[in-house]
Amino acid sequence: MPENRNVERRTILKAAGASAAALGLAATTGCGGDSGAGDGNVTLRYAWWGGEPRTIAIKKTIALFEKKYPKIKIKPEFTDYESYWEKFQTQASGGNPPDVFQNAVGFLRKYDKRGVLLDLKSQADAGNLSLDNFRNGVLANGQVDGKQIAVPVGANTMSLVIDLKAFKKAGVEAKFGWTWDEYFAALQQIQDKLKIAGDTGYFAIMYLYDLYLRQNGKAFFTDTDLGFTEDDVTQWWEDGYKRVKSGLVADPKKIEQVKPKSGLSAGLAASEFTWDNFSIRYQGEGDSDYGLAPIPTTDGKDTGQYLGSLMLSAFSGTKHPKEAAQFISFMVHDPEVGKIMGYDRGILATTEQYDAFKPTDPNNKGVSAYEDEVAKAGVLGKITPHPSGADVIEAAFLRIGGEVAQGKTKPADAAKALFSEAKAAFAG
Amino acid sequence: MTLVKEAPARPAQKRSAAPVAGRRGRRRENLAGYLFMSPWIAGFLLLTAGPMIASLYYAFTSYNLFTPPKWVGLDNFTTMFQDPRWQKSVEVTLKYVVVATPLKLLLALGVALLLAQKRRGQSLYRAAFYMPSLIGASVSVGFVWRALFSDNAVVDRTQKVFGLDVGGWIGNPDYVLYALVALSIWQFGAPMVIFLAGLKQVPQELYEAAEMDGAGPFRRFWNITLPMISPVLFFNVLLESIHAFQVFGSAYVVSDTRCGPADATLVYTCYLYQKGFKEAQMGFASAMAWTLVIAVALVTAVLFWSQKKWVHYEEAAK
Repeated sequence: MPENRNVERRTILKAAGASAAALGLAATTGCGGDSGAGDGNVTLRYAWWGGEPRTIAIKKTIALFEKKYPKIKIKPEFTDYESYWEKFQTQASGGNPPDVFQNAVGFLRKYDKRGVLLDLKSQADAGNLSLDNFRNGVLANGQVDGKQIAVPVGANTMSLVIDLKAFKKAGVEAKFGWTWDEYFAALQQIQDKLKIAGDTGYFAIMYLYDLYLRQNGKAFFTDTDLGFTEDDVTQWWEDGYKRVKSGLVADPKKIEQVKPKSGLSAGLAASEFTWDNFSIRYQGEGDSDYGLAPIPTTDGKDTGQYLGSLMLSAFSGTKHPKEAAQFISFMVHDPEVGKIMGYDRGILATTEQYDAFKPTDPNNKGVSAYEDEVAKAGVLGKITPHPSGADVIEAAFLRIGGEVAQGKTKPADAAKALFSEAKAAFAG
Repeated sequence: MTLVKEAPARPAQKRSAAPVAGRRGRRRENLAGYLFMSPWIAGFLLLTAGPMIASLYYAFTSYNLFTPPKWVGLDNFTTMFQDPRWQKSVEVTLKYVVVATPLKLLLALGVALLLAQKRRGQSLYRAAFYMPSLIGASVSVGFVWRALFSDNAVVDRTQKVFGLDVGGWIGNPDYVLYALVALSIWQFGAPMVIFLAGLKQVPQELYEAAEMDGAGPFRRFWNITLPMISPVLFFNVLLESIHAFQVFGSAYVVSDTRCGPADATLVYTCYLYQKGFKEAQMGFASAMAWTLVIAVALVTAVLFWSQKKWVHYEEAAK
């Protein structure tokens, strides 16, 4: 019996030890990440979305920063756009978002409302961050209710990317101040002469519809609501569907097939509305030459355009607000950083960086020339507010617009669906 | 090991010496067992039971992940039943379950019948057919599928040879769900292996006797094989339909994370995911999850009830 008991005790102890070891292991893997701050060093997590070229460039800028600030280490986190915000939402709700992260206008109010964003004004007042030398008033893009919750790294505007060869062959010209009627007439001419569609599917792009509304004295969003009526968007989608049916706009099925390639670079259509800094991708993807053309107008003058921005924000609960502010300041002002990033996130937002980077390749030059032209034309307006929930509504607009294009939903029903989903999104 | 070895000696000791010590011994043994199991138990409590209870609570709240959950009673459920996208997701999922499950099982059974016969290289064939099930869950297969069924890809071009021009299945809301069905059928290996095991159990004498009575291959299959393997068939039907209700990965990847086009592959879990992680409506998503649990439980119950009618267990079991 005594032996027996000993054995049992040993077994129990072993079992306990094994369990403790297993749990211990789980515990240690669970809490990695926090860096030792004992030696005065600080680690900041920095997150962004984007493709591989952006990641390579940003990593270079991080190395530059770490060299200048040897006591601050930067831990990069990056994904594509879709998963970025899903991940961010989960991290932020768990109180563990990155210290510094890329942001955009559609998310400012949402995360401000939830208390995630640090008001950088105090850091600017303390001299850790410079808010000077921003071009064309883009600094205002990061302001909400008098707070500076984001700082722009670049500025860009909506544009029409065209297949230059196709436009030339069809004998159509994209000129400043052209109207929507003239634009659709050009698409018709392209279809007649080249037997391809003119556009890849303009009517599901929220930011383009916003321009169209602005041309007509409205806007997609007000501070708290949608800035248009069900009838407005029903009309917009009815026209769009008609043009899909007539072949003026590319077959949505085909557009879906060629993803992640764009319909334009796949040769399915001759033009596509998108942000001007996105245009750089087409040259690599497609066989033709691509260029930027003006946004069609309603009255021959007003394009409704404004400068949008990718921005950097800091987490309100960061343990190192000073260092986060220093990092942001470095990233938006340092000339070397501007040289490395180029126009990947839009035309550089500060004069220091803008002056430091002189584009040499035709793509970047094209984007720069386009924005100069737009600025000179004096059509740039102020960005309209995006209420909390704007991100969900943008996704809904794209999806429902796609259903209309596929003939799966009638425009009037689609408009109803959009409004009911918007209501839920604003309430969330 | 020591414990197992000593076990037979135990009853004698217990009876002769001290029953109390024996009870204590058994308790010790149990304690050791629980201690060995404790990592698993802790994992279950922390990672499974805890979240489940939490999600049951959230199902009755409005919860956006940031502000504390607000009790709303049955609101989530009433909004859910009226939500056209939710209805669409139920429709898509049912369609998927009803089409994919029988086809997959049919193929699994067919191939199992072929592989049950003795022939050279048998194990090689079995391995080859089982392979897709092993890699089937991976995201990469979803991408491969996307490439196969795209416009002007292999499937599309093959169809065109036969005069069927649908322009690829991926972008077409009328066809894309069937690309997912095809992916599910392709992974028929797991039920096939189970069928194979079942087929091995059928006594050879039955076939011999039937053959003597002049029964042809079809009759033998219908009157002997099918009833004899019906427990295995029941198991497979149960498992595969539960599995099909939970389809997510393939829909998410093939449709480029949007479960479309035009919500054509908006399977239940995909909508649940969108609600929870894209739109931050965790309360709604939890309500959806529990509705799925109840629905699957009901389907399982119906299957169990129906088995009395068509599943034959051996005499001994009765």
